[in-house]
Order: sequence, then C-alpha cells, then structure tokens
Amino acid sequence: MGDAAARNFQYLAYGLIAVWAILAVYVLTLVSRERRIGREIESLKRMIEDREGK
Amino acid sequence: MREKILYILGALAALLLARNIWAMLTGLPDEAFQGAIFRIIFFHVPAAFTCFLLFFVALIASISYLKTGRMQWDSLAVSATEAGLAFGAANLVSGMIWARIIWGIWWTWDWRLTSMLVCWLLYAGYLVLRRAVEEPAQRARLSAVLSILSFTVVPFVFFSIKWFRTQHPQPVLYGEGKMDAAYRAMLYGNWVPLLMIAALLVAVRMRQERRLRELDALRREAHAF
Amino acid sequence: MQYLRQVWTIAAKDLRSELRTKEALNASLSFALVILLLFSFAFDPTAEMTREISGGLLWLVFAFAGALLLNRSFARELENDCLDVLVTSPVPASALFLGKALANWVLLLGIEAVCLPVFGVFYNADWARQPGWLALVLLLATWGITVIGTMFSALTVNLRLRELMLPMLVYPMLIPCLMAAMQLTTALVAGQAPEGDQLAWLRMLAGFDIIFTALSVALVETVLIG
Repeated sequence: MGDAAARNFQYLAYGLIAVWAILAVYVLTLVSRERRIGREIESLKRMIEDREGK
Repeated sequence: MREKILYILGALAALLLARNIWAMLTGLPDEAFQGAIFRIIFFHVPAAFTCFLLFFVALIASISYLKTGRMQWDSLAVSATEAGLAFGAANLVSGMIWARIIWGIWWTWDWRLTSMLVCWLLYAGYLVLRRAVEEPAQRARLSAVLSILSFTVVPFVFFSIKWFRTQHPQPVLYGEGKMDAAYRAMLYGNWVPLLMIAALLVAVRMRQERRLRELDALRREAHAF
Repeated sequence: MQYLRQVWTIAAKDLRSELRTKEALNASLSFALVILLLFSFAFDPTAEMTREISGGLLWLVFAFAGALLLNRSFARELENDCLDVLVTSPVPASALFLGKALANWVLLLGIEAVCLPVFGVFYNADWARQPGWLALVLLLATWGITVIGTMFSALTVNLRLRELMLPMLVYPMLIPCLMAAMQLTTALVAGQAPEGDQLAWLRMLAGFDIIFTALSVALVETVLIG
C-alpha cells in the first residue's frame, strides 16, 4: 500500500475513533452524573432517617 | 423490564455496527477519487441526520411542554438536546478529519460548516441557559423558548448546500449528485444503529432526569426542618 | 389600531428615556468608535484590505455595540419594579416587545449612522457608492440584530449572569443575519450593486427578519409572563 493510501487509512481510523470517543465521553458523563445523584440520594435518605430516628 | 429493553437495544446496536464496519471496510469498492477516507461518510452523514432528528424531537418536546406544562416533556427536551450535541460533535469532528486530508485544511467558513457549528453552539447555549436558572418550572419554560428559536437554524443547515455554491461537497442523496446504490444502502443502513444508540442515550438521560427530580424532592424534605 | 399606538407609546418611552440619560448610547457608541479606530491603528489596512474586510469589520462593530445597547433594554425596567408594572398592564407583551425592539432599532441605526462616516475617514473608504442598497441592508440587518437581541434581553432579564448570558446566546443566533449583512456590505462598499448570489443573501436577510419577528412576537408572552 502506497504512502498516501496508508495515510488515508490512518485518517479513516482517526475519524472512526473520534466519532466513538465523543459518544463514549458523553456516556461517561452520564455515568458519573448517575453516581453523583446516587450518592446524594443516599446521604439525604440517611439524613432524613436520622432526623426521624431522633 | 425497561432495563432489559435498553440492554437488548444496546446489544443489537453493537452487533449491527460491528457488521456494518466489517462490510464497510471489506465489502465496498473504493471510491474513485478519495480513497479510504471516503468511508467516514458512513458515520459523518448519519450522525448529522441523527443530530437534526434529535433537535427536532427537542423542538416537539419544548412545544409540548409549553402547551401542557408537564415536566416529562422538559426531560425529553434536555435529553434529546444533549444526545443531539454529542452526535453533532461527532459530525463536526469527523468532518474536520476528512477535510484535513482531502482539502488540506481543518476548517473553512463555508456556509454548511458555519451553520452546523452555529447550530451546535446554539444548543450548547441551551445547556448553559439551563444551568443559569435554578427554579425548575422557569428553567423549563425559558429553555423551551430557546429550543424553539434555535431550531430555525436547522433547516438552514440542511438546505444550505443546495442554495449556495460552497466548498462542501454537493448533495449526493438528493439533487444532482448520484451515489452508487451499494454506498447509499450502507449510508442509510448505518443510520439504523446510530438511531438505536440515540434512543438509548435519550432513555438513560430521561431516567436520570427523573432521579434528579427525586433528589430535588428529597432535598426539600431534608432541609424543611 | 390601538395595538400600533401601544407599540408606538412604548417605543417613544424607551427612546425618550434613553436620549435623556444617554447612558447606554454613550457606552455603545464609544465602544464602537474605539474598535473602529483601534482596528485601523493596529492593522493599518491598505485600500485593498479595507475593501475585503469592510463588511466583516463594520458588522462586528455594530453587533458588539448592539449587545451593549440591548442588554439594557429589559434590564432598565428592573428598578422600581417597572417590569412587573409593564407586564401586568393592559399592554400585550408582544406590543411591549415590539415597542422596545423599535426603540432599539432606531438607536442602533443612529450609532451606525455615526460609525459609517468615521469609518470613511479613518479607512479612507468611499462607502456611499450604493446608498440605496446600503440603506436597505442596514435597515434589514439592524432589525435582525434588534429583534433577536431584544428577545434575548427579555429571556435573560431575570437571570443572575445576565451580562454574560446575553452575548453568549445572541451571537450564534445572529450569525446567519451577520453573515448575510457582511457579504452584502462588503460588495456594496466596493461599489457593486447586488446580483445573483448577493440577491440570495438579501432574500435570506429578509427571511431571517420575518421568521424571527414572528417567532419572537409569538413567544415573548411566554418568556415574560409564563
């Protein structure tokens, strides 16, 4: 495969990786936000239980 | 039950993608002038279609929110917008990589690229606006209006390469350009898994909005004393 | 008929209020002139360069100046609860909006009218070669800036970071309008009457104005009242 053709394929790879990386980043932000929400809900539930326990 | 549907959807999408990528790289003949990089079009264009579709969904959701006042519509609007931004970014970046090797430049201010970027910035502004408003009903109302105003740009993007002679390649799916039948099939065919992924992202994000509302209620309860 | 009278009353009120204090007008005009002069100083453009950038430069200046002006549009009503009074008065929200947009339009046109001769002097540019067409482009594009800016002024009036949010939201929305204006102005300042592609830009500018005026009039009540 010639030099130009190889570079061409390289860029194709970059392109595909870029598309999937962007979607992956979004999924990761969703996941991390989910975790943060989970933690906050837990801590608030505990706070309410404590208060009711008193 | 709903979880299972989402997992199945995800698995289907992954399978379809794997099959498509394999077919893309081995099955189709090379495009005459551009070589291998041309195949990026199978993601570049469907990503744009998905992006516009999601913004359209956000438009409908925004109008529905203003008509009914139900928060579920607001959740759909923000979920669709976020997913739309992700696909839009994928479209822009894949386009830039293509441009770098074909035209030798990363960017040009031709009308189609400009309007796509503007579109992206508008909806990014939608997310920023949402951060600036704390009260949920006000946030939903203002961002619904912004979503409606922003959508007017989308048709501009879609039709701009037909109206103006620009550097971006002329349309191949409608208008004068012709595309080989196998290529066209692959292009539309690859749209399907992208749509599935979009549906997945929106569903997950909507569930998150529901959890956020739950969180809000708990917060108010906890701090009520 | 009464509707138009209401629009006119609001417009007159805003104009009178602004012309008395001249706060926003002075800030806006000074800013515009400073950019024009700094640019001329920094780049010292040749006649050739000036011909190429005239549209872009002028409309950037007008857009920045406009943002300063438009920010004040609804914000000035926040003191003494004037905004609440206006919103609950019998004047429909769309009339309030159009009145303010009209006032802003006149003010921004005034600023442009001052900037153009200054541009002519400092850039040695003969800008009035197609006065009719140029006037049309100025009127249309300025209305575009004004409509969007006033609408977003209403949208952001109650937000914390209003001064930041307004430009950030307005500029992307304005890009189609500004692009058309820049293309047309560059050609007109160079002395060419519009034809072919240029007429398409002009049609787009008109379309932009119509669409966003209609949308804003329809939506402003939701924004202000809910």
